[in-house]
Amino acid sequence: MQRLRNVAPGLAVGLLVIDVVGMLVLSVVTPSFLSTYNLFVTGRDLSILLLVALAQMVVLSLGQMNLSIGSIGGLVAIIESGLMVRYGVPVPIALAAGLLLGIVCGVANGLLVYWTKINSFVLTLATSYIFAGINLGITHATPFYHIPGEISAFGQARLGAFPVMAAVTIVLTVGLALFLYQVVLGRQLLAAGGNQLAARLSGLPVRRAVVTAHAISGFLGAVAGTMLMAQLGQGQPTIGATWILPSFAGPIIGGAALSGGSAPIIGTVLAMVLISLIDDGLVLVNADPFWVQFLIGALILGAVVLGRTHLSDIVAFVRRGRPVSHEELTR
Amino acid sequence: MRRSQIFASASGRFTGSSLLRQVALLALLIVTVGFWIFFSIAASGFTSDFNLFSLLRFAAIQITIGFAQMVALSIGDMNLAVGAIGGATGMIAGWVMQVLGLPPEVAVLFALVVGLVLGFGNALLITWTRINSFIVTLATASLITGAMLILTHAHPFSLLPDSFTSFSEVEVAGLPVSPLVLVMLVVAAALFFLYRNLSLGREMLAVGANRQAARMAGLSVDRVVMSTHGLSGALAATAGLMAISADHTASPSLGSDWLLASFVSPAIGGTLLSGGLVSVPGTVIGGVLLATISNGLLLVNIDNFWITVFLGVVLLLAVGLDRLTRAAGGAAS
Repeated sequence: MQRLRNVAPGLAVGLLVIDVVGMLVLSVVTPSFLSTYNLFVTGRDLSILLLVALAQMVVLSLGQMNLSIGSIGGLVAIIESGLMVRYGVPVPIALAAGLLLGIVCGVANGLLVYWTKINSFVLTLATSYIFAGINLGITHATPFYHIPGEISAFGQARLGAFPVMAAVTIVLTVGLALFLYQVVLGRQLLAAGGNQLAARLSGLPVRRAVVTAHAISGFLGAVAGTMLMAQLGQGQPTIGATWILPSFAGPIIGGAALSGGSAPIIGTVLAMVLISLIDDGLVLVNADPFWVQFLIGALILGAVVLGRTHLSDIVAFVRRGRPVSHEELTR
Repeated sequence: MRRSQIFASASGRFTGSSLLRQVALLALLIVTVGFWIFFSIAASGFTSDFNLFSLLRFAAIQITIGFAQMVALSIGDMNLAVGAIGGATGMIAGWVMQVLGLPPEVAVLFALVVGLVLGFGNALLITWTRINSFIVTLATASLITGAMLILTHAHPFSLLPDSFTSFSEVEVAGLPVSPLVLVMLVVAAALFFLYRNLSLGREMLAVGANRQAARMAGLSVDRVVMSTHGLSGALAATAGLMAISADHTASPSLGSDWLLASFVSPAIGGTLLSGGLVSVPGTVIGGVLLATISNGLLLVNIDNFWITVFLGVVLLLAVGLDRLTRAAGGAAS
């Protein structure tokens, strides 16, 4: 029961209701919503962006940020496709090298944050430009075309309306939940996010927690980049360039706090479902695609304001006798 | 009396490690001059009037973008909407001039007011909801850019009046200096005066140094937050206006790549990201250094993409050095 508190059940139920209503409305208003192909495409986009959101959530649960998820995803996709197309490296080795690179980028972020004590926002902003610059320096903004057929086929594979890629996302999501809530290191990570000083004083391995969170974040970003490469059928240098907003939107709408200590996996999943419903709905009714950006912004604000009036926040407010201050949130 | 104590503690931070900060500023200046000497020798055409003109104009815009962020940082907030506000107000100015056919003065005034209002909007959301400025401005950046794209259908305004675009082209007093550089210097002087002499500026630093203490000492923190974010919005609008004047067009992608730029110049210049300490001259020199490196590396035929990597490294080094300096100066957190 203790650990359910972190999942923010009230918020999750609210999001679930909104998701279900959204699906019902969409299937009534635009019958093509329920077409096999539309469900497949929407599910595939969702399975990629959910990994991006979880990559941010892991680091947020520690009270830190990772602005370099998108550039890690882009760099990994470029390295993998480059190895396969340019150097004829076998698929499994190229993919393994790419995913390893994602972990290495994440570990670098984590170690730099831990050693230098630089604010993770600024640090990962800087490394995101470094990763993106290396990506563009290698490719000169030209994609690697003609990646091996089995990868493109994986990107298009489906069982009915179910995208095969989504299986990867489901496995990783469940794995992440088990890690954070059942494995000792995962629990320590959440504890360090809740109160880093207390965690340090009680002898928790804070450095290992920080590095692990960033490594997981880099790994999830790498998997997302790989999946987008498979979906596009080419190594696009622009992969990940637009991921900052969705990466924060998912966890924040899903109930994560910037101050850390909570890892609302179910909330993040439901928030990303809602975002892809909005995305898909706007496409289906031929609306201006720019509405997506506007609505995600509105959704973040709305969710955070509503989240503020939550029972747990009121309890915290009464205990502290004052609102959570800005300093506590940014630290 | 309590109020004066706050100011005293804020100015203590300002001058306490003053010598160290002067040294850091001097070091930054020496590094910048060093790069100028290096590129004058290594890169042919670096010292040509044409190149110096465009370098300084680019620096002026980058520095103004940095000011918009520096102001928010001074109270310990962030403004991720600097690029969104700059882009949207630039587009509004373009629309006023091209579609409404009104004179540039009206467009400039209108854009500045909109920038101010958008900044106030950020501040209202921050003070009402007590939500972290990061989340608020992440959301409003998305709202502002989304609304701008919906309203303009992402069509640029490229028929700006000559009287507006030529403002960035003329040379001041025969020197390779655009009037935009003068605009930046006036803004810099005003900000310097604000933080050095005006009570609002001192209050902003006090709020940034310790918000809780400032509140308990009777400062109206919410009022300071309002002024700060309004100013940040107006500065972002100024940068947007400067950019469309230099580009001769108001493009919907304007501002989309300002995030790094907005943090780099203040960070190099010694502005604390946690608030309470700003350096206006540092931001100016930091922006000039940034523009010098980008310009010089291009001239010696280094790929533009590697410059991106370089800027990321420069930001890391600057913030890393800043932490070392503070550790050496013994300043608390």
